[in-house]
Amino acid sequence: MGLSKAAAIVGAAESNEIGYPEVPKTSLDLHIEAIKNVSNQTGIPISAIEGIFSAGQSSEIAEHLGLHPKYIDTTSVGGCSFEIHVHHALLAIYAGVIDVALVTHGENGWSRRRIGAGGGGHYAGGGAGSPGTEMTMSYGFSGAPSNYSHAMVRHNHLYGTTPEDFAHVPVVTRDWATLNPRAVMSSKETHEFGGPITIDDVQNARMISWPLTMLHCCLVTDHGGAVLIAKPEIARSLKTNPVWIAGAGENMSHSNMLEMGDFTATSAFASSHTAYEMAGLGPEDMELALLYDSFSITPALTAEMVGLAPRGKGHLLWKEGHAAPGGRLPMNTNGGGLSFNHSGMYGMQLLVEAYRQLSGTAEDGLNGIKGKQTNARTCIVNGTGGSLSTTGTLVLVADD
Amino acid sequence: MSYNKPIPTPSPLTQPFYDGAKEGKLLLPRCQDCNRVHWYPRHICPFCHSVNIDWIEGSGEGRVHTFAVQHRAFGGWAEEVPFVTAYIDLNEGDRMVTVLRGVDANDPASIRIGAKVKVEFDQASEDIHIPFWRVVEE
Ligand SMILES: [Zn+2]
Repeated sequence: MGLSKAAAIVGAAESNEIGYPEVPKTSLDLHIEAIKNVSNQTGIPISAIEGIFSAGQSSEIAEHLGLHPKYIDTTSVGGCSFEIHVHHALLAIYAGVIDVALVTHGENGWSRRRIGAGGGGHYAGGGAGSPGTEMTMSYGFSGAPSNYSHAMVRHNHLYGTTPEDFAHVPVVTRDWATLNPRAVMSSKETHEFGGPITIDDVQNARMISWPLTMLHCCLVTDHGGAVLIAKPEIARSLKTNPVWIAGAGENMSHSNMLEMGDFTATSAFASSHTAYEMAGLGPEDMELALLYDSFSITPALTAEMVGLAPRGKGHLLWKEGHAAPGGRLPMNTNGGGLSFNHSGMYGMQLLVEAYRQLSGTAEDGLNGIKGKQTNARTCIVNGTGGSLSTTGTLVLVADD
Repeated sequence: MSYNKPIPTPSPLTQPFYDGAKEGKLLLPRCQDCNRVHWYPRHICPFCHSVNIDWIEGSGEGRVHTFAVQHRAFGGWAEEVPFVTAYIDLNEGDRMVTVLRGVDANDPASIRIGAKVKVEFDQASEDIHIPFWRVVEE
């Protein structure tokens, strides 16, 4: 047996409350709710978990669960960490070290404003003694948006695109969010600014880092999610449908954006190449694409990198309606980081949606809330972490 | 008025840069084996992995690679919004980041990728001088 499909995602669940909880949550709380839910969903007892994968918190979570895992992975490289965890879990299962892996995420991006991060997931950027940080700290940058804007300006310069071209990404993604009642921006009932938006709404929203207005930028919410991965014999024995990990790859081009040679290219080119090759599939075979949308520029660039669009033309997937509900290539069907949920690291939200779509449970929903089921049997998932830095790509396929 | 924005703390690796900046010179690390300049300073050449690195005085000239306009910032920078940030292609190779001067933050369409820039230094404390880049006439 080869590496492709050596393991399957057998369940994916979220914490009970996500978004903007009324009572503040800790990150640990969000983790544990999701883990409990995915255990119930699959029928795999928590005690059967042999490997634990999280962005920096594996030892605390294992201890909290009373587990003595024989495989511990705390890879924390930004929002794509979770796609990379799936890759690592596939390898560990293929090697026979473990049979059941837990990938888990809890991040109180919203609640921490009131109660602090409290064991929250954290992205390990450069600190004291890092010359890259030292040489960039003096210039007024304020987090991801202030950097990603430079990539859009460069794309505009090289390919003749405009910020309005990219405004189609949040507009179309919002349309998907209106079909998902669990999305923060689903409707006026879920948020005062929820419901459909127009290009003008996006372009006239408050400027954050020109050319990115607030509506070109993702949400900041709470989220917890957990995924269980198992070897084929176990995967076929469960009450849930397996979603097969046909291909996986990871790569990074830089950590500090200073080192990003081409501001319109990311390591998703390399990570997707690895994943496609393992799967024996190509971009033309993908029926669904879940591409991390931290900002409008991110999934458009990623679409170019993973072969879904030519260089300079990624935004056309949204502008021409292909990515929209009813389009030929549904994308970010949960409403994305732009309109569904984004806790700081969004890679887990991608995994949960991918599982729901390919296991045919999007309408059943998780936590009893409906989603929007597509007919897709194959899906590319790409997470992007840091400043367009690190990427993890998965090629997932539905069970026969 | 005292400088109210983040001031870096040099390490032994980066100290020569600040020694040069104090004299108004832009010192850049250069590999003695492959002759390439890199930025930021490193313990090892990122191109050929030699550890033989010295400092050369750069021209202090470059070109705008890309830019953005910051409308939200924290600390001392919050008082300056909107301001333009940019990545600068150095004449010697590799890239620095800056708050760009000599441009109109309220008219981003007037800012040109490829514009020629020169370095200047702000005194942030007794020993720390920070480089900033300014768009100049061709
Ligand atoms: Zn060298």
